[in-house]
Amino acid sequence: MKITGAAPIELTIYPISESAVTIEFGNTIDEGLMNRIGGFNRLLHQKPFPGMYDTVPAYTTLSVFFDPTALIYNNELPGTNCFEKVSGYLKGLKDEGSSGPIVENETVNIPVCYGGPLGPDLEYVATYHHLTIDEVVKLHSAAIYKVYMIGFIPGFAYMGGLNELLETPRKESPRKAVPAGAVGIAGKQTGIYPLESPGGWQIIGQTPVSLFDASRDQPSLLKAGDKVKFEPINLSDFEQMTINNKVAPPDGEAQGA
Amino acid sequence: MITIRKAGLLTTVQDLGRVNYLSQAVPFSGAMDSLSARIANIALGNDEDCAVIEFTQSGASLFTGSDALLAFSGDGAYLTTDDRRLPSDRLVFIPAGTSLYLEHNKSGSRSYLAIAGGWDVPKVLGSRSTYLTAKIGGLEGRCLAENDRLHGTGKLTPAAEVIFNSLQGPIIKYPNWCVARELFLPERGNAIRVMPGREIDWFTQSSRNGFLSQTYTIGNNSNRMGYHLEGVSINRLRKDELLSTAVTPGTIQVTNDGSLILLMADCQTTGGYPRIAQVAAVDMPLCAQLKPGDSVSFKELSWKEAEKLYIKLMQDLAKVTLAVKQKYGVK
Repeated sequence: MKITGAAPIELTIYPISESAVTIEFGNTIDEGLMNRIGGFNRLLHQKPFPGMYDTVPAYTTLSVFFDPTALIYNNELPGTNCFEKVSGYLKGLKDEGSSGPIVENETVNIPVCYGGPLGPDLEYVATYHHLTIDEVVKLHSAAIYKVYMIGFIPGFAYMGGLNELLETPRKESPRKAVPAGAVGIAGKQTGIYPLESPGGWQIIGQTPVSLFDASRDQPSLLKAGDKVKFEPINLSDFEQMTINNKVAPPDGEAQGA
Repeated sequence: MITIRKAGLLTTVQDLGRVNYLSQAVPFSGAMDSLSARIANIALGNDEDCAVIEFTQSGASLFTGSDALLAFSGDGAYLTTDDRRLPSDRLVFIPAGTSLYLEHNKSGSRSYLAIAGGWDVPKVLGSRSTYLTAKIGGLEGRCLAENDRLHGTGKLTPAAEVIFNSLQGPIIKYPNWCVARELFLPERGNAIRVMPGREIDWFTQSSRNGFLSQTYTIGNNSNRMGYHLEGVSINRLRKDELLSTAVTPGTIQVTNDGSLILLMADCQTTGGYPRIAQVAAVDMPLCAQLKPGDSVSFKELSWKEAEKLYIKLMQDLAKVTLAVKQKYGVK
């Protein structure tokens, strides 16, 4: 997908709080649109305005968070209030954004132990689709998924690219606790639980990799725009990798004092 | 140093929140009533983002293991000793060996205890706020429990040190001034001011009118992530599915069965329900003091006015911070 050549679209910008605005790029899930949002987001982080904290990319929007008190007396940005100042700044960036460089996103390989006690719903998913367990694993691990956005709980990636043959409705009653690392399917989506939490997804496997770790420089393993590929591993690999994670955490050091 | 004798309903360490990891879906967290948390810090001459202890309603009790300069604010409880109630919104010297209790206060839900120099817990992802879901921040990423000990950083401003030395002794002492928190608060009992949400026109006109004229009750399953608002349900004109997008504390979402959820400090960073309204930031401290069973109503405010009010509040607080620092002789 290329960003260049896309027809310029007038950006809609609206406030979502006194300290945040949302830029709307469109209204349907579309990979070209998401690349555009990614490009704009990168540009904005290279050229932040005074008082900007962070941004939240989503399917069709990019939200920008800032400190109004750091902005209101900034005379370099025209406008009588913060919303005008930020909107004006973002609209000014637009043109550069649409002709920005194309950045190839990295592919993140995630090892998954499918089925057995770590994938209690794998058999259900196979039966539901009249497939064998091996076929489900093959289909799920052959695809390259795209991270549309991070949301819901820290490090959770909304991913697109699930093979239609695997689309499975959520469980009728959600589990009270799904372990961190559980890989599941819900409707057209597949995803990984970064933290233990309640959940209604069909759990087909588990990864020993930590999707969210506050002691890492980038706590979330995945970010919007990444590509993801699942690699099947067996239970003993899973256990070995889990032990290794515990012995040597990625950054080694504890946070703070 | 203080020891927790009784933990109470939900007691956590918070500051003004975590703002730099929203893109990784780490929520803001932070004090629910950020105004009271700020005022407790301001009274002590602290920076406003020093860590404070957030108590939920009454029931907790503490014991001072060493002499301490503390400030208490908020409406969830009164701070008392064995024989008297201590004043709020002002610094209080409390000698070692004092038992402190959070006694019932019917007017609110949350209170804050600050210490000169701030509570000493490590920053995680740029903040000391506890976020229980990811077990990060505060004391070991969890809520405070019986026998936990919390220390102050001991980093008193030079002037706080002067005050500390002048008040230090065997009895509780405090100066005759306090920070007038009422001056910064919208009047209690008034309707909460809201701005129109992005999907306001997805709802029928009568539902929109109803939202601004009915009274809602805070539901039982309300917590730091959000409140359920029980009342007349909201009808939709447009039944489209909204694609998930960023939400913030103060966002009022309408779920598929027409009920309302007000998002609070620990809310998710993204949501997929249409938004009928956004609570004005200056009125969020009032929302933080609501508890299950309380009633609440809403009235409309423009986005421009909301921003003006917020900036005015922050400027007024900055003035008080400066005045207190000057009182302490700090430039």
